[in-house]
Amino acid sequence: MGGSYYMGFLLMRYLISMIIFFSLISISEGGWKDVFKKEFLTAPWGKGPKIERDVCIECHTSEMIKSQYREIPSEWRKSWHYEYRVACHDCHGGDPRDAEKSMSPERGFVGIPKHKNVPEFCGKCHIGILENYLESDHGKALKTIGKGPNCVTCHGSHNIQKASIAIINEGLCTRCHSYERAKSIKATLLLTEKKIKEIYDSLKTLRSRLIYTEDDDKILFRTHVEFRALFHTVDVNLVKDRTDEFSKRLSAIEVRVQKYFQELEFRQNFTGIIMFIFIGLCITVFLLGRKSE
Amino acid sequence: MKRRRFLKLLTSILGVSALSAFTYPILRFLTPLKAKGKGESIIIAKREIPIEGAKDLVIGGVPAVLINRKDKGYIILSKVCTHLGCLVKYDKEKLLLICPCHAGSFDLEGNVVSGPPPKSLEKFQFRIEGDNVRIG
Amino acid sequence: MVQRIREWIEIRTGISELVRSQLIGYMVPRNINIFYSLGIVAFVAYIIQAITGIFLLIYYAPHEDHAFKSIQLIMNTVPYGWLFRLMHVVGSNLMVAVVFLHMLSVFFLQAYKKPRELTWVIGALMSLITLTFCLSGYLLPWSQLSYWATTIVTTMPTAFPVIGDFFTKLLRGGEQVSGVTLNRFFAVHVAFLPPLMLILFGIHIFLVCRIGFSSPPFGKVIEERKEWKEFRPESYPDGHPFYPYFFSKEAFMIFLYFLAMFFIISFAPALFLPADANTPADPLNTPEHVRPEWYFLAPYQMFKLIPNKFLGIILQITLVILFILWPFFDRLKENNILKRPRLLVLFLGVLSLWAVLTIWGSY
Repeated sequence: MGGSYYMGFLLMRYLISMIIFFSLISISEGGWKDVFKKEFLTAPWGKGPKIERDVCIECHTSEMIKSQYREIPSEWRKSWHYEYRVACHDCHGGDPRDAEKSMSPERGFVGIPKHKNVPEFCGKCHIGILENYLESDHGKALKTIGKGPNCVTCHGSHNIQKASIAIINEGLCTRCHSYERAKSIKATLLLTEKKIKEIYDSLKTLRSRLIYTEDDDKILFRTHVEFRALFHTVDVNLVKDRTDEFSKRLSAIEVRVQKYFQELEFRQNFTGIIMFIFIGLCITVFLLGRKSE
Repeated sequence: MKRRRFLKLLTSILGVSALSAFTYPILRFLTPLKAKGKGESIIIAKREIPIEGAKDLVIGGVPAVLINRKDKGYIILSKVCTHLGCLVKYDKEKLLLICPCHAGSFDLEGNVVSGPPPKSLEKFQFRIEGDNVRIG
Repeated sequence: MVQRIREWIEIRTGISELVRSQLIGYMVPRNINIFYSLGIVAFVAYIIQAITGIFLLIYYAPHEDHAFKSIQLIMNTVPYGWLFRLMHVVGSNLMVAVVFLHMLSVFFLQAYKKPRELTWVIGALMSLITLTFCLSGYLLPWSQLSYWATTIVTTMPTAFPVIGDFFTKLLRGGEQVSGVTLNRFFAVHVAFLPPLMLILFGIHIFLVCRIGFSSPPFGKVIEERKEWKEFRPESYPDGHPFYPYFFSKEAFMIFLYFLAMFFIISFAPALFLPADANTPADPLNTPEHVRPEWYFLAPYQMFKLIPNKFLGIILQITLVILFILWPFFDRLKENNILKRPRLLVLFLGVLSLWAVLTIWGSY
């Protein structure tokens, strides 16, 4: 009895001296504080590294700048672009790390693009859409007479949201022309858009039930984008002609989605049966055990 | 004692069915997977593609492109952009593969040059047999 | 025919004698309860992990470019690959739960008292290895969740001055969690830990069989116990035979374990696999709400709460050492926890602190 008592006492003493020893080191050792700051304060513990500050934002939120430009960063923070980490310089060029040269044309800075040049400004990234737009009556009008809707007319500029069919609406279209043609295009798009949304939802459900849908996600996105691009030609007949083709492509995805749902149902039934076998085993073994008592 | 024998019988029946419920999946699990697109091989004549020319293909359901590179020979790359899955286009002037959706661009090895794609384009294997390029 | 085979084997091995002496002749205390079977349930849980793990190994590719794809293949394409993966994933969580319960019941029943101190120490080490198994296995799917959870955990040693940085680099095989880390964790998970576990398991089981079951400190029995001056196996001349009496209880608990596993697989397969577990790892993009698995939440939250990280980690290491060597700190002979209010308060206090930290950590 005495032996184990002594041993416990020794261990306790050992542990306490360890704590004191290491605490002393932690106070005297300066270098590790930087490591701590680096690893614990700046390391991403939770939120994704969205772009919060750079020179552009710094200046555009300060008092130095005209109030109408001061709204831009907060507008942008609400946008789809911000969500996907597309920053000022990705569209406007310039250097977000160098305050001196941030707006220098040498660093590719483009301020506010002219109304006529907006399509190319956005088209730096949205190549496919630009192509279709330029073919459209909208694009032709802009390029020939310098008047006509550009990207910003419908999508806005800094607070750009995920595009949806709701953008085609009477208020927006009637700013320039009657709504009839737009309405008939919208009617044509509606069914296919609805189907696309349904498949997106199904794929999401499949993912949440542990089916990996990466390949079909990509095929659907590709189909969706091509369909959207088609709309940018604002050509009713073209949209109508090719809707069939798109619904066939979508149906092909739907067939695979259905197969996956059947597979999931099978899985649940299979493991459900195994579960019932074990319920049975639990009961019989319990009864057998009780009997032998 | 009759009840006891019945219970024992029931336990062994359930035990055997539990065991077989695992044996069958194990056997299925170990049977070899069917190779994708086995037996379908694509043959393309070399003269169809001039130097710096390209030809679109579909390999096992995946859209791909065969490019005859200057000095470096043939390469087959998947056209599916690694970002969100749009189909990249071969740009003969810039010698790049460019995605129409978000301007991701890849060199003719399939490596990312610029834009949002997270990784290189997938490569496909092929063999050169005389005057032909054979895939699969 | 069956009879002849039996005889043939019997003559050469003498199994029936073994059964008689070790199973039927092996007496367990009369008032033994269901909690004494948790050890064997934990053992079965390990066996399930080992078997399903070997199956997964057939299709899994331990490389940063292929790991996630191979998991996709197992889940989508390989026939019944999903079954073995889900059994492995759900099993790992249930295994931890069973190990926790086993430890709690051993503590509550004061079964670590002399002469079973060694059994406790070995068991405590095994539970730490179990957690290391979970930690290393967590990275292997190379998903967003596994990548970032591993990043957080491997950051912890940097709280140590001087050697901390080196240790983190050693774990990661570089500055960041990368393909090198994946290979290291894979080696640890499938080659380093299993034999270690087996050795400890062997010692644990040897001790349990050699010393015999402890008897519950509650209820009517408990004769005046002799002081352990020399080794003697615990004997219960008036007890029940291990087979079939306790054996059927163990079988019941094992089937209950399977039942729980298949209940989760059938009705909540994604319980332990949230959305981030189904997206490939992206070192440039931290998902929101990264947090470790539920069994690490309490230590993780405690670590976050203590402002001095070094003190935090020292405290945790101290607690772990205290936990491993607990039988040497608790040296009173009384083995009914209900008669020791201070120990009972400590037990319940730690338990509720753990629960509070876990809940706190999950927000």
